[in-house]
Amino acid sequence: MKKQALNFTVNKQQESIQVTPRTRLLDALRLDLGLIGTKEGCGTGDCGSCTVLLDGNAVNSCMVLALQAEGRDVTTIEGLGEPGILDPVQQAMVRSGGIQCGFCTPGMVLSLKGLFDGNPNPSEEDVRIAVSSNLCRCTGYTKIFDAAQALSEGSLQAQAADGNDDAIGARMVRTDAVEKVTGGAVYAEDIQLPRMIYGALVRSTHAHARILSVDTTGALKLPGVKAVVTGRDIDMGYYGYELHDQRVFALEKARYLGEPIAAVAAVTADIAREAASLVKVEYEELPAVFDPEEAMSPDAPLVHDEPNAYQFDWESERKGNLCYRLEVGEGDVAQGFAEADEVVEGTYHTPEAHAGAIEPHSATAMADPGGRITIWTTTQKPFAVRSYLARALERKISSFKVIPTHIGGGFGGKLYPVLEPYVVLLAERSGLPVQMTLSRDEEMATAALLRHPSKVTIKTGVRKDGALVAQQVRMLFNTGAYGPYGPNTAALGSLMAGGPYRIPNLDITGLVTYSNNVPKGSIRCPSGPQMAFAVETHMEKVARAVGMDGLAFRLKNAWDNGDTTCTGQVLEAVSIKECLKKAAAAVDWDETCPPGTGKGLACNWWVSGTWGTQTLLETNEDATFRLISGCVDMGTGGMTSSVLQMAAAGLGVPAESIQLVRGDTDTLPWDHGHGGSRMTFTIARSAYEAAQDLKQQLLEEAAGQLEAAVDDMVLENGRIFVRGDRSNSVALAQICYNRHKKHGGPMIGVSSILDDAPPTTKPHPIGAFPAPSFCAHAVELSVDDDTGEIAVTRYAAAHDVGKAINPTGCEGQIEGGVAMGLGLAMMEELREVNGKVLNPSFADYLLVSAEDMPPMQTILVEQPAVEGPMGVKGVGEPPIAPPTGAVANALADALDVDVQRLPLTPEQVSTLIATRTHGQ
Amino acid sequence: MANSFEFTQPRDVAEALDALAQPGRVMPMAGGTNIMVNMKRAPLEADLVVDLTRLEELMPISAANGTIRMGAGVSFARLLEWQPGGALEGLMKPMCIAFAGPLIRNLATAGGNICDASAAADISPPLLALDATVELDSAAGGIRTLPLPEFFLGVRRTARRPDELLTAVEFPCPAADERWFYYKLGKRKADAISIVSIAMTVKLVQGRVERARIALGAVAPVAMHARETENLLQGEPLNEVTIGAAAATAAREARPIDDFRATGAYRRQMVETLVKRGLNHIAQQDK
Ligand SMILES: Cc1cc2nc3c(=O)[nH]c(=O)nc-3n(C[C@H](O)[C@H](O)[C@H](O)COP(=O)(O)OP(=O)(O)OC[C@H]3O[C@@H](n4cnc5c(N)ncnc54)[C@H](O)[C@@H]3O)c2cc1C
Ligand code: FES
Ligand code: FES
Repeated sequence: MKKQALNFTVNKQQESIQVTPRTRLLDALRLDLGLIGTKEGCGTGDCGSCTVLLDGNAVNSCMVLALQAEGRDVTTIEGLGEPGILDPVQQAMVRSGGIQCGFCTPGMVLSLKGLFDGNPNPSEEDVRIAVSSNLCRCTGYTKIFDAAQALSEGSLQAQAADGNDDAIGARMVRTDAVEKVTGGAVYAEDIQLPRMIYGALVRSTHAHARILSVDTTGALKLPGVKAVVTGRDIDMGYYGYELHDQRVFALEKARYLGEPIAAVAAVTADIAREAASLVKVEYEELPAVFDPEEAMSPDAPLVHDEPNAYQFDWESERKGNLCYRLEVGEGDVAQGFAEADEVVEGTYHTPEAHAGAIEPHSATAMADPGGRITIWTTTQKPFAVRSYLARALERKISSFKVIPTHIGGGFGGKLYPVLEPYVVLLAERSGLPVQMTLSRDEEMATAALLRHPSKVTIKTGVRKDGALVAQQVRMLFNTGAYGPYGPNTAALGSLMAGGPYRIPNLDITGLVTYSNNVPKGSIRCPSGPQMAFAVETHMEKVARAVGMDGLAFRLKNAWDNGDTTCTGQVLEAVSIKECLKKAAAAVDWDETCPPGTGKGLACNWWVSGTWGTQTLLETNEDATFRLISGCVDMGTGGMTSSVLQMAAAGLGVPAESIQLVRGDTDTLPWDHGHGGSRMTFTIARSAYEAAQDLKQQLLEEAAGQLEAAVDDMVLENGRIFVRGDRSNSVALAQICYNRHKKHGGPMIGVSSILDDAPPTTKPHPIGAFPAPSFCAHAVELSVDDDTGEIAVTRYAAAHDVGKAINPTGCEGQIEGGVAMGLGLAMMEELREVNGKVLNPSFADYLLVSAEDMPPMQTILVEQPAVEGPMGVKGVGEPPIAPPTGAVANALADALDVDVQRLPLTPEQVSTLIATRTHGQ
Repeated sequence: MANSFEFTQPRDVAEALDALAQPGRVMPMAGGTNIMVNMKRAPLEADLVVDLTRLEELMPISAANGTIRMGAGVSFARLLEWQPGGALEGLMKPMCIAFAGPLIRNLATAGGNICDASAAADISPPLLALDATVELDSAAGGIRTLPLPEFFLGVRRTARRPDELLTAVEFPCPAADERWFYYKLGKRKADAISIVSIAMTVKLVQGRVERARIALGAVAPVAMHARETENLLQGEPLNEVTIGAAAATAAREARPIDDFRATGAYRRQMVETLVKRGLNHIAQQDK
């Protein structure tokens, strides 16, 4: 297409560029002007990550043709502040903790900038409205409101005073905040390589079909096409997490709608997409199965003909479409039910949900002629990317080098390879660097890492006094066409099936079925929101059956120290009752609710980490330090705050003297990846241990120089003294300098941590939750009886974090988790009908917006874990689980109904109201 | 299949009309908030895109001789700032607040919302309730006007000829004692497409309905008047019986479909609920 001249002002500079008529303003800024701070989360106007100021008004740059900006004034994030000086809006965001993954941040800042330019003292309502088009999946908006509040009150300076303290328990500002707030952070799609071309996938148009032929000739003929790869012309192995049942391309048959069949690369993304549409696939449609109960019937179509041929690292019965079956329990439930005064039954359903990171998957690969391949990707597990690729493409792990970029939100959606295999194959085939980015539609419909939908049936026996005596739980998870995370989801779910309650007789069955649905993944607190909904909604029903208040009932049955779980884990540092009491008090639990309003409680428990990791802490010549860890930060900020705080504490130096090394899988020590609430529990602990190791070495060195005993060495303010004799000292910098100069190298503190879970007595693939964390949420809401609309009026979340290394970080996880959990409770549902996702966009799959976020009370409980130096417990995942149960219970309280299904959309609520009216 | 269109940026309506008269597939583009979404998903079916953002003539909102004239190029952000008072503001303001979010409001235009003719277009119910007419202009045919209901032909189909530009909507300025009601039901507070939206204006004379307009969005292929309901109310007082009957009639008139946002049954039920709520509100509105 012919290019035309575009003259406009960008960040106060006059720019003249040539663009095609179809170039969007977003593309002109990112690609032509290199202003990568403007992000593309959707390209359809729904997320706000592309926000710029156009003649001072905040607009989506994906909604504007570049040529429409002729003569106009554009401000991007790069145009705010001066070099080295942040704009006040940026400062406020940095200090408040309003930045996590940072992908929404430039847009968020520009929307706030637009607001404050017109109105220096906006109300909170003004702020909520102003950022209501800017979706943030990480923060729950609360800290963004705090930033605006500080700006509007002019309390920015006061905030600064305590903003930079980096002691344990201080609100240290994460070290990547400035990089993110200025738009400088490089995410996967920002990678630009010389001669780079773009990839696209050919996807199955059937949910279940035999593939008769794949004809690539049409695609290869299209000018601009550089490579086409299908499953027929490469070596493919099976890969997966515990269960290795998936290959890179569908070969004999396609098992879900959207399954990749071929990949193409071309000089532009448009041509690549066109080429993909020219690959002709001939199918023979097969009968498909979508419902998990139907999938288990003997005459259901088989999704996998030989499921037992796959490597599975766990044990399980596997036949037909049964992907995994697990049983665990204790006592005798039949006996328990016989002893009970009341037996309460219920069945609970939750839908498919998407991780909803604002950054879509994107990966870039380059193959060097020697055969080694470099991959830039947005991944929570860079080391696992190598091993997945090695299995999938039948190569050696060492043939891949993975460079993790900043991650624009992970939440489990970036634990598993999505695009990496395709860019690798296309880069090899074409000899050129290849980038591939999922469109938002593809991301939602086929990225195939959704939260498992669930059906949970519970039968509970209770005595009149409220004591739980028996519980039988059957969990059914539909894992879709492939089950990399199905077994894990059921196994985790089984540990929550009895809730955090003392139940002497338990019988838990977990079933995972294959179907021709999009495969499911392992999303933040996998099975947590599902189980918290089922178990906690059910517990409320049980409490009502014996005429007990929900809080009193929970306090009666909740675990104490020394209680055991269904696998025989003996619990320590249990804080569930404290969490329950604090959350309930925060919404004035004992005050009765006016009609049309209700209160609800829910609690849960969850794992902290761990898996293996290794951390090195290395001296520089001037007594600054390099912290070397292979763990990436998916956005939570653990790596750039609490890990540094712990390292600093372990060494006895300020955190600002410790530099986090950003590297790749060639240069960094192996790590499992960011997930499982392990960052502060496992990585920061490892950093602390490495720091202590290094400190010991420094003290020994000093002891030698000062001719005193090591035990008498004291490190303070950058010097090491002999205890009791301040005059006898040596500067840390001197020790480091000498060491480097005279002995030729640094001192290195090392820590290796392996996965060591507490002991259990029952066979179970996961067994125990190390350093379990506990939480309770309380909510107050009102319901519009006519329309079914819910308004959440108050929300309190009490979380036992063991020790809050960085309270801002803890609160950020909780607030963000609550936002996500409220979404699951009230609006999030990916609708799949006959294997087709009907709402693959942020317009139709709704995330909680700034206007939906209720006023939050975040309560940090600190009951130190027995494990680890500071007693830290994980907080990344837990907050997402209880909102489902808490909202359902509040609704039940307001309407006197049985909630059985999420999400509680106005229509769903209105259906509940109708059943009640009929019942009366 | 690739997107290959040309782009032109006329300076005034006359130039725009000339551009629209060009042969081939010519597409006027205002805020672009429908067009750009479509272009993200599939190549634009256009040979020439005519940018309307520079047409100052389409921007003003004016009042003369009891008629309000709203330029097609008025953005929703601008409309939100407009403070005409009374029924006009009573309908437009909540509609604008519920329309998309602030970013889209800064781009999206009234004209684009009307011409896109989605059943869920939020501007339609208020404009129908205000008895709006649309003004179309073309180089070949000159200006013509059409009552809004005649402009909407079907799902995303309008009476606009390809060479015509929507220049303005006009409607009689509502009387000071005109009563109103507006409600948009969505799945989220901000930025959600309507499940149902409703706009009403009612003129009560001595306790009886002299004229009622009840307009519904997202419950039929195009935004619609509940004509039977309007007629039913004519001359009646507003009481439990008439309101109940009106609500039931409106629910019957609606022709909602099932989609992933809501079932048809729920939409129909909400029409009944909201008509009832609206008429009750109107009966009590202080004048
Ligand atoms: C994130 C998002 C949220 C949205 N939320 C809502 C919502 O809440 N409610 C709602 O109703 N809509 C919503 N929309 C849809 C859209 O914003 C509106 O329909 C908007 O009013 C379109 O106006 P525009 O100026 O952007 O139109 P454009 O995209 O420029 O044009 C729309 C159509 O109208 C034609 N057209 C435009 N102006 C003229 C004219 N003067 N003469 C002739 N033809 C013309 C174009 O050719 C095109 O066919 C949303 C869209 C997005 C992206
Ligand atoms: S990328 Fe523009 S709004 Fe999402
Ligand atoms: S910080 Fe907002 S999306 Fe991650």
